[in-house]
Amino acid sequence: MRSLLEAVSYFREYDKLANISEIARRYFAMNAFDGVLTIIGVLMGNYIAGVSDARIVLSTGLATCVAMGVSGLWGAYLTESAERKRDLDELNKYTLTDMNNTRIGRASRAAIVIVAIVDGLSPLMAALIVLVPFFAAGNSSDLSWAYFSALGLALTTLFGLGLFLGHISKGRMIVFGLKTVLAGVVSIAISYFLGVEG
Amino acid sequence: MARIRRLVLDTLKPHEPNIIDLANVLSELEGVSAVNISIYEMDRKVENAKITIEGEAISFESVSHTIGDMGGTIHSIDEVVAGKQIIDDAETLQD
Repeated sequence: MRSLLEAVSYFREYDKLANISEIARRYFAMNAFDGVLTIIGVLMGNYIAGVSDARIVLSTGLATCVAMGVSGLWGAYLTESAERKRDLDELNKYTLTDMNNTRIGRASRAAIVIVAIVDGLSPLMAALIVLVPFFAAGNSSDLSWAYFSALGLALTTLFGLGLFLGHISKGRMIVFGLKTVLAGVVSIAISYFLGVEG
Repeated sequence: MARIRRLVLDTLKPHEPNIIDLANVLSELEGVSAVNISIYEMDRKVENAKITIEGEAISFESVSHTIGDMGGTIHSIDEVVAGKQIIDDAETLQD
């Protein structure tokens, strides 16, 4: 219990020093949004191509999820490392001391790890939620309901993300929710018409 | 060894952690009973702070380590009072 309290206290301190929550929140919203839209693309591709085997949809979907997760993790780790190293180097130059072993240096390293994990997990989890109907489909030959419920779940997830953004901005949550849903609807419509035309 | 009762330090520190956090951490050190920090110069990334610490037995090592851990550096030790009681510098004719 004591170590948990200590961990919370360290996190609060590091959060204040390295602005972890705000950056992680931004990455979370942006990448979960990316994850859902990407998986909508994968689903629409499978639907238009007439894929009726849930295992194929799942394997393409899961491979995409993993790729997004790895991309998020790696990308955020490298970007944050570079940015924070630059900030720390600048501070070192101003103070003529090595900041690496100070609270600022430790907070900076913690921020890199936390932000990278959030950036990797958010698209992965968001996309996995959308794929749930295909896990439930088993060997069923008619996948129409799975496609429709997955797209429904995708739009619901997008709406949830919109509400989250609306809550952060202290704006009108419903408006934010509708804006994010609109992105999903546009993505579905364009994919569908491209498929029909093709 | 004589007990340090007052320390006045001239330091350079980043804006974060701010002086409230620094004062909190310093005031929790053993032998410290009061801390006063004032900023007298601001730069884009750093600020100069005058730190006054009073207590029964201040450990300079702990103070210096804490300031360093919070990202600050001690530029100079501007005043020290040690012994059984606190005394201020005596006024002379030259003053």
